[in-house]
Amino acid sequence: EETGEDENYEFGKGDFTEHACRYCGVQNPACVVRCNMPSCRKWFCNSRGNTSGSHIVNHLVRAKHKEVCLHKDSPLGETILECYNCGCRNVFLLGFISAKTESVVVLLCREPCLSVNALKDMNWDLSQWCPLIDDRCFLPWLVKVPSEQEQLRARQVTAQQINKVEELWKTNPDASLEDLEKPGVDDEPQPVALKYEDAYQYQNVFAPLIKLEADYDKMMKESQSKDNVTIRWDVGLNKKRIAYFVFPKEDNELRLVPGDELRLRYSGDAAHPAWQSVGHVIKLTAQEEVALELRASQGVPIDLNHGFSVDFVWKSTSFDRMQGAMKNFAVDETSVSGYIYHHLLGHEVELQIVRNTLPRRFGAPGLPELNASQVFAVKSVLQKPISLIQGPPGTGKTVTSAAIVYHMAKQGQGQVLVCAPSNVAVDQLAEKISSTGLKVVRLCAKSREAVSSPVEHLTLHYQVRHLDTSEKSELHKLQQLKDEQGELSSSDEKKFKALKRATEREILQSADVICCTCVGAGDPRLANFRFRQVLIDESTQATEPECLIPLVLGVKQVVLVGDHCQLGPVIMCKKAARAGLAQSLFERLVLLGLKPFRLQVQYRMHPSLSEFPSNSFYEGTLQNGVTINERQSLGIDFPWPVPNRPMFFYVQMGQEEISASGTSYLNRTEAANVEKIVTTFLRSGVVPSQIGVITPYEGQRAYIVNYMSRNGSLRQQLYKEIEVASVDSFQGREKDFIILSCVRSNEHQGIGFLNDPRRLNVALTRARYGIVILGNPKVLSKQPLWNCLLTHYKERECLVEGPLNNLKQSMVQFQKPKKMYN
Amino acid sequence: SIQVRQKVVEVDPKEAEDFDRDLRALMQESVESRRLEIRARPTLNMMIPMNVFDGTKDPRAIDGESSEETVDEDGGTSALSNKVRVKVLMKKGNKQQTKHMFIPRESSLIQSTKQQEAAELEE
Ligand SMILES: [Zn+2]
Ligand SMILES: [Zn+2]
Ligand SMILES: [Zn+2]
Repeated sequence: EETGEDENYEFGKGDFTEHACRYCGVQNPACVVRCNMPSCRKWFCNSRGNTSGSHIVNHLVRAKHKEVCLHKDSPLGETILECYNCGCRNVFLLGFISAKTESVVVLLCREPCLSVNALKDMNWDLSQWCPLIDDRCFLPWLVKVPSEQEQLRARQVTAQQINKVEELWKTNPDASLEDLEKPGVDDEPQPVALKYEDAYQYQNVFAPLIKLEADYDKMMKESQSKDNVTIRWDVGLNKKRIAYFVFPKEDNELRLVPGDELRLRYSGDAAHPAWQSVGHVIKLTAQEEVALELRASQGVPIDLNHGFSVDFVWKSTSFDRMQGAMKNFAVDETSVSGYIYHHLLGHEVELQIVRNTLPRRFGAPGLPELNASQVFAVKSVLQKPISLIQGPPGTGKTVTSAAIVYHMAKQGQGQVLVCAPSNVAVDQLAEKISSTGLKVVRLCAKSREAVSSPVEHLTLHYQVRHLDTSEKSELHKLQQLKDEQGELSSSDEKKFKALKRATEREILQSADVICCTCVGAGDPRLANFRFRQVLIDESTQATEPECLIPLVLGVKQVVLVGDHCQLGPVIMCKKAARAGLAQSLFERLVLLGLKPFRLQVQYRMHPSLSEFPSNSFYEGTLQNGVTINERQSLGIDFPWPVPNRPMFFYVQMGQEEISASGTSYLNRTEAANVEKIVTTFLRSGVVPSQIGVITPYEGQRAYIVNYMSRNGSLRQQLYKEIEVASVDSFQGREKDFIILSCVRSNEHQGIGFLNDPRRLNVALTRARYGIVILGNPKVLSKQPLWNCLLTHYKERECLVEGPLNNLKQSMVQFQKPKKMYN
Repeated sequence: SIQVRQKVVEVDPKEAEDFDRDLRALMQESVESRRLEIRARPTLNMMIPMNVFDGTKDPRAIDGESSEETVDEDGGTSALSNKVRVKVLMKKGNKQQTKHMFIPRESSLIQSTKQQEAAELEE
């Protein structure tokens, strides 16, 4: 039997025909194009091989080259592809249009020529503009895809090899794929390990990864400048100037959050000098506007509204604190107890029991009664120097954490430090702990003091202002003066700062519990504090070095709370992520054999909704603390295909598209059906705040928001109040009804974000009363987990199609799932 | 013909996702740089040679199975290679050129297909 591999086929440099694909060697002139970048001029074919994009598209994307030339023997002859109207050669902008009546086509760029009004009046049909690059491949009728025979004969290159050879070409344009085998090319950082010799080795591994991530973050943020920004001016209660403007979002996960620092610039004109000021984001409005509080109120050109530029001000603080924590961990013996030191490094240590008198009951005042698994977790944790609590969705991990903190604080070992990676989680926890009657101080970053918080009364800056407001208080007087004048004389300012520092210290010292983010634990105001007991919530969403910051303040007993079956930390730098920075400390401790206490009773989801997540992510251990009756949406008339099973998978066959910004995806059919479902809910008496629409793509999110308020048959305001957001921004939260729009619907590329089982888990576990999933089963069923989910819905007669008022069970065939990736 | 062992193409989803992100970033950068570049209204420069639109219906314009187009890339699984011949208008320097090319009938570019679809929808 012949095989596709031909042993005698030589791939040495010299044997290549000039126009052979530089990746795979295919040399059929109809299948190849030449990169037209003068320094490059390499040929590539239009086959996908083992990658999601064709070889030429792979090259253009990786090398950031944008022009191509067709082969002289191709149907169009040797031709540089360009816009017929303006001559633009950027293939990412080009597409074909045809004449309205004749079989004549031309290439036209989509920006700006496609929007030239005069063209519409001519003979051309602009509505069917057909992009040159579609589904990550050149139009196959323009540049042929090599036959299967040709592809099998060609070199089988992987995406990794392509990445590497592209990297190599930057310094050596003539390099071949063979050169990759030579040593020294691959400079991947040292990956994380399970165990470390000592904290120096630990630092040697993690410090470069943090550096990589910091560099990437800096590069990303500093390249986020926006020009031509339009400003709306306002004045805050503290008399500071506030600039409102829209800062477009993208899928690349860089989201503005309150506390971020931005620089606002005006380049000047005849009547105005050039001006700039730095400010902090204090909120993001429902209209997606950013509110920036400016630091300086002098000389602000408030008579102007247009032509401003906005830059990101990158700050290294969080990364510096991680590096600092690792250094402390290594050099300071007292940073953590000996037991914890060895345990964290994966050394064999004799099991230790913390000798504490246990309370008689494990609940705490002001908190709901604990269930058996919660009591067990609290009790066990109090006796162990290091423990993990896994809290699946809706299992009351905040209450459990608060109870643990309550009992720790009552043991009289000093103040307890409570952290989480996100501010939202810290606020929630601070509130719960405070309701037990403990004295809680919430320490916020200075940049977030103007950001409103649900636990404002607990914040340090609020308490400093309200500790002593009597006539006699010098601090109060100076504060008032500063508020009125905007600034103080230098001697007053000095006095004010000293008094403020002393008051802060006083308040912090008298607290039972201090709550802050993990990075916040590195705040200089805590520099002289020691914390023997530390609890970190959402610890599975923090990187290891981030988790280390609150630990190196002298910890003897640590509790990590989280759920490694939900989303982990977001790492932007691929190299750092590949090397393992995305693995949390919690996960590594699990791998080291530390068994988490799992909270087992969920109080959120209708039992029908918890069944699949329980079986797929928690070995079937999740029990229901709510009954079907408690989760029956009385008086809500919604066409659930099976009464008592408030869930269905709504089969959608509409196409995905690249969104207008070119950076994301949308799916019009799904969006239209989301609107119909939302309207049906609203008509039946559900209020907007009960509904959440989840979609993994920014393009679809924006499209749905827009579509609903334009096309929804009810009052616009109702649709505007409905939260439409990414899976990630719903983590840790719940809604009564969830509508999930999957968007992706294509044959060749994956299903994107939805491929991550942990993301699917989060998406499926947000709803209390009911869930509707919209997606294309033909595409989704290729992924094993989605295949299971679809089968689950089908077996329960909840896989449906047709109009919403006449849903019928769908007979759509699933595809065989591919092998599971990790 | 030769028997070829079937290979399983597996795309690493992580790589694919990364690639996709880069592709989208490049697209956006392209669009945005153009938006900034061209402040003024773009001008119309669509000179069309007279003879392009005069050629009424070429009998070969709709080409069911033209000689060179019958080789199907998909290895003949979809037997119908139903293609339409179109004129492609190009510029070489200042000169206009017309070339011929075959486009699949189902391409949205092709007007007749759209009409066909419209007819089907009405049924
Ligand atoms: Zn190739
Ligand atoms: Zn190139
Ligand atoms: Zn153009």
